[in-house]
Amino acid sequence: MRVELSEDRDRLAKRLQRITGENAMLCYQCKKCTLGCPSAYAMKLKPHELMRALQLGLEDQVLWSGTMWICLSCETCNTRCPQDINILKLIDGLRAYYLRRDYYNPVKELPMMHRLFLKLARRFGRIYELGLVLILNLKMVNPFKDIDMAMPMFLRGRLRLFPHRSEGARELRQVISRLRAMEEET
Amino acid sequence: MRYAYFPGCSLGASASDYDLSLRAVCRALDVELVEVRDWVCCGASSAHATSHLLSIAMPVLSLSHAEQDGFDRLVAPCLACLSRFKAANKEMQEDPEVREKIHRAFDYHYRATVRVYHPLEVMVEEGMVDRIRSRARRKLSGLRVACYYGCVLTRPPKVAQFDICENPQSMDSIIRALGGEPLEWSYKTECCGVSMTLTRTDIVLKLSNDILREAKEMGAHAIAVCCPLCQANLDTRQLQIEEKYRVHYGIPILYFTQLMGLAFGAFPKELGLEKLITSPRDALEVCGLM
Repeated sequence: MRVELSEDRDRLAKRLQRITGENAMLCYQCKKCTLGCPSAYAMKLKPHELMRALQLGLEDQVLWSGTMWICLSCETCNTRCPQDINILKLIDGLRAYYLRRDYYNPVKELPMMHRLFLKLARRFGRIYELGLVLILNLKMVNPFKDIDMAMPMFLRGRLRLFPHRSEGARELRQVISRLRAMEEET
Repeated sequence: MRYAYFPGCSLGASASDYDLSLRAVCRALDVELVEVRDWVCCGASSAHATSHLLSIAMPVLSLSHAEQDGFDRLVAPCLACLSRFKAANKEMQEDPEVREKIHRAFDYHYRATVRVYHPLEVMVEEGMVDRIRSRARRKLSGLRVACYYGCVLTRPPKVAQFDICENPQSMDSIIRALGGEPLEWSYKTECCGVSMTLTRTDIVLKLSNDILREAKEMGAHAIAVCCPLCQANLDTRQLQIEEKYRVHYGIPILYFTQLMGLAFGAFPKELGLEKLITSPRDALEVCGLM
């Protein structure tokens, strides 16, 4: 594949460094991250290729690969990187930046899940597991996904039908709105 | 010893057996657990994928309740909660910019004086393993246990600051103290994939299958776990895995606290053993506990 490098090719890496404090330019492609990564097999860009794409400022490839959403956040790459780059922080920086932006995402269900998860946390203060599964299945247009697990779990008392509310939810909502106001300032 | 206790969302629902068994063994060992007042969700992967400040603020809310109520130690049995708590504490201690912003968002200014522990860390504190050994009236003799620690108990070491990162030993030492036989195996800290369990289940089934296969090949009678999310994948999805990969495992996935409770002489019901999807009966017959 022919790659055209733009004039400002370190813009992406610089922006990420500003958000996360991590410097993607330090990567020298030893591939330890990819070799230890449990979900690398499912990524179009493997972790070391993602790092290279960041260095070259190939924003489209980074986005279209979906790699940032396929990462499981297991922290193996961070632990083993000889350059001590916190790759998960870089990926989190990408996720946070692109979460509210519109682009072609091959794994849309992941940001969808994160938004729903936090919505439930804000509403009840705790995660309503059954609600999370049911609403997510509907959103993914796969309403009967994992239905085979429901009965055995229900019979063993592992499904809580109604949400658990925490008195801390009000405080959480207040904190979140203050954080939002601060983030909008900057 | 007295600890603030942060059960986390799973232990109130799908993992109530972990909660039961943890409370039971803590009672037996004179470890007092006091549930954190009005605790809220830690935010898990969803918070740190959304906003860095939010991923600090959510754990800080519950930590600040523990601090205000006079606790300097907190136990979090779920690895997702644990790692978010430890990361939040570290940033609050070391990053003045983050600290300043978080303080602006809260009425109470958290000083990061609450140290966060996993139950395994509590169980291997000075002298505890000996107490566990002397409390274990019914030994797990002949039970071959694959101790599965999960992804973020020891990772990244700078944040976790517990056990040997790539080959942890704490759970092994507890199983040994109970008279069982911990296995040497290489999947102790492999990820089970839980952050995608609801969305990309295909990935989760593959990763969990790898773990189950390795344990089976090493001759494990049971897998001991220390996280509700690992348990959910390896146990509740075991039938799906067997169907997809056309294999038979039938390996029970027990919390290490359930094994401790059994050895201490508690009834299976007190430890929530009936909640396991894969029955532990065969495994427990090996050591005469069933």
